[in-house]
Formats: sequence, structure tokens, C-alpha cells
Amino acid sequence: MKLWSTFLAVWIFLCLLTACGAHRPKRDLIVLLPDPDGKVGVVTVITNGGSQTLDKPGVATEVQDLSKPPMAPKPIGENEITNVFGPALIAQPDPAGRFISFLLYFEHDSAKLTNESKKMFPEILMTIKDRKSNEVYVVGHTDLVGTETYNIGLSSTRANHVRDFLVSSGIKPGILVVSFYGKTRPLVPTENEVPEPRNRRVEVIVR
Amino acid sequence: MSTGLILAKIARIKDVMEGCEMKHGKKLVLPLVIIFLLLSLIGGVSPADASSPIATVNKASGVATIVRQGQTIPVAIGLQIWEKDTIRTGRDGSIGVVFSDDTFLSLGPESVLVIDEFVFAPKQGKFSIVIRMLKGTAAYLSGIISKLAPESAHFKTPTASVGIRGTKFVAKVEGD
Repeated sequence: MKLWSTFLAVWIFLCLLTACGAHRPKRDLIVLLPDPDGKVGVVTVITNGGSQTLDKPGVATEVQDLSKPPMAPKPIGENEITNVFGPALIAQPDPAGRFISFLLYFEHDSAKLTNESKKMFPEILMTIKDRKSNEVYVVGHTDLVGTETYNIGLSSTRANHVRDFLVSSGIKPGILVVSFYGKTRPLVPTENEVPEPRNRRVEVIVR
Repeated sequence: MSTGLILAKIARIKDVMEGCEMKHGKKLVLPLVIIFLLLSLIGGVSPADASSPIATVNKASGVATIVRQGQTIPVAIGLQIWEKDTIRTGRDGSIGVVFSDDTFLSLGPESVLVIDEFVFAPKQGKFSIVIRMLKGTAAYLSGIISKLAPESAHFKTPTASVGIRGTKFVAKVEGD
């Protein structure tokens, strides 16, 4: 798995409306980092004046005025991250006991798993058993092709198909929590009606 | 403790008293017992929402405290955190907590942060995490709430609200 070596940073500066001219304006700073497994998520920073979405590594946004939107992203170096956030990062809890999630993908307009995804089941089953997990979430999604209603149904079929497979492989049904979101939560944002294999997915979250 | 529980306790003690052989002591002991129960209610640090704790302290170093209903509680590993708690760190302090949905939150020194809301009830479809940072530095790694209901996870600073979608970020706030 690739690890991003640069970090995504968001600078948010606050210029207090009541601040005297002699004082440096107060600032808020937000930096987006990769997850422990190397994935980078999405952060949206919203002020009274507007918003800024960050979804790429190595950039920072700054708010200079509460009434203005956060500024366009700028890079932040690893040294600065360590200087400012070192103690907070060192105090992060140990990720060893944290949930593990798996992504399974499907053929277009179908609850049929791709061949690569079928191969993931042994690892999923082993993870559930090794952890003696009693809480497993199975979450179904679709891409943006088709109507909302149709895709609610399709994502439900996908999630339940995965659930049924886990149960038939010996997993206790009581530990599985199934949910589905149709086309409302694409992993990869696209225009409506755009097919995207990475959005045709079920996520299995093992505690 | 709810008022109902205390009244029930008082009733039970009265019953015991009435069965007691000693008549002299009875008149003094019952009022003292009631006063004691009332004092323990007032003096208690039971949380505003008595349902259940929402997070546990996993790491701690230096000066770190929880402020709960006006009471300051020193942090120790294993200490439980409740909704509405304020987490504070001193000049050399830091703390790391794990929420019941596996959200990780940590603070560096001289930081103040409030947990305004936390609800994780997947079988009822109820999710919410609202954290308000007043000053200092924090690191946040999103948990299952962000996987199942990303729109209900909010991290607020004095200037901005940060919507979170399956991500890890750090935040610095220059407060008073």
C-alpha cells in the first residue's frame, strides 16, 4: 500500500473582529493526514463566508477573516507538522485494537462480486475469527448510474449478498449489522449517471 | 442518582428503623441518614446524561484534566469520558482518548476541547459526534460514525466547522 509522504494541510486563520491592531490575528490551523493504512479522506472547512474542501495531500487552507471563506490550499512541510503537532500526534491512541475495513467490488448493475473481491473472503473470515469480533458492519453502496430509489435497492441487495455469504461461511448472524446508502455516498465523487467501479462496493467493517 | 432512587433508599431505611429495637437512637439517626444521602447527591460528580460513558483515556502525560459539571477530575489511563465533558491539558500535558465507535482524539499541551455531543447507536440508526475545540492542538482519527453517517460528524473551532469524511487530521486553535 502506498504511503503518502506529504501531508495535506489546511490553514485556518481567524482574525478576531474585536482584536486590536497591535495584536497578531488569531489563527486556526487544520492539517489533513493519511490514515494509519495510508488512505487519505476528505475534510470540508466551513466559515461564515464560505467553504473549502480538501481531498489531496500536501495542501493547507487558511482563514483570515470569519466572514470570508477559507483560503486556497497551500503546502505544509513535515517539519512544521512535527513542530506544531508532535505532542498531539504522539498522544494518539494505539491503532492496534481499532476496526479493520475491507472493500468488496461488484459488476455493473449487479450484486455479483468481481473475481478479485471474491478472493478477499478468506481474509475477512479469518479477521473476524481472530479478533473474536462480535460487531461487524456490512455497508452497501452503488455508483451514480440510475435513480436514487433503484440504487437503494441495489445497494441493499449487495450488502445482504455479502452478509449471506458470511453467514453461510459460519459467521453468527447476530454480529452482523447491515446498512445501505444507494448512490448517496460515492467513495469517488462523480457527476450524476457516471459509471465508477470504485463506487460499486460493499464495505465490511470488523471491530 | 435520581430523586426517585433516593426516596426509595430513604423509605427502606425507615422500614429498617421501625423494626429496630433501640428507641432512643431512632430519632437522631434517621435525619442524619437523610442528610448524608442528600449530601452525597450534591457532592457527586455523576454526569448530566446518566446513560453511559462515551470514551476512555488511552494515553496521558503531564497535566491533563476533565471538567465535568464544574468538577475537575485528574486524568488517568482508563478514566471514562462522558458527553459534555471538557478536556484540558497543561503546559506539558497531552492526552489520547478512544470513543466507543473507535474515533481517536488526542490533545497536545495547553489545549481545551469540549465534547458537545456523542451518540453511537447503530442498531437504532443514531449517530452524532460534535466536538468543539477552544484552544491548543488536537489530532483526530475518524471512527465508525464517519463510516456510517459522515454528515453527523463535526469538529468545530472558533472560526470554522470541519466536516469529516473518513479521515485523520490535526487542528491548532489559538484561543485566549
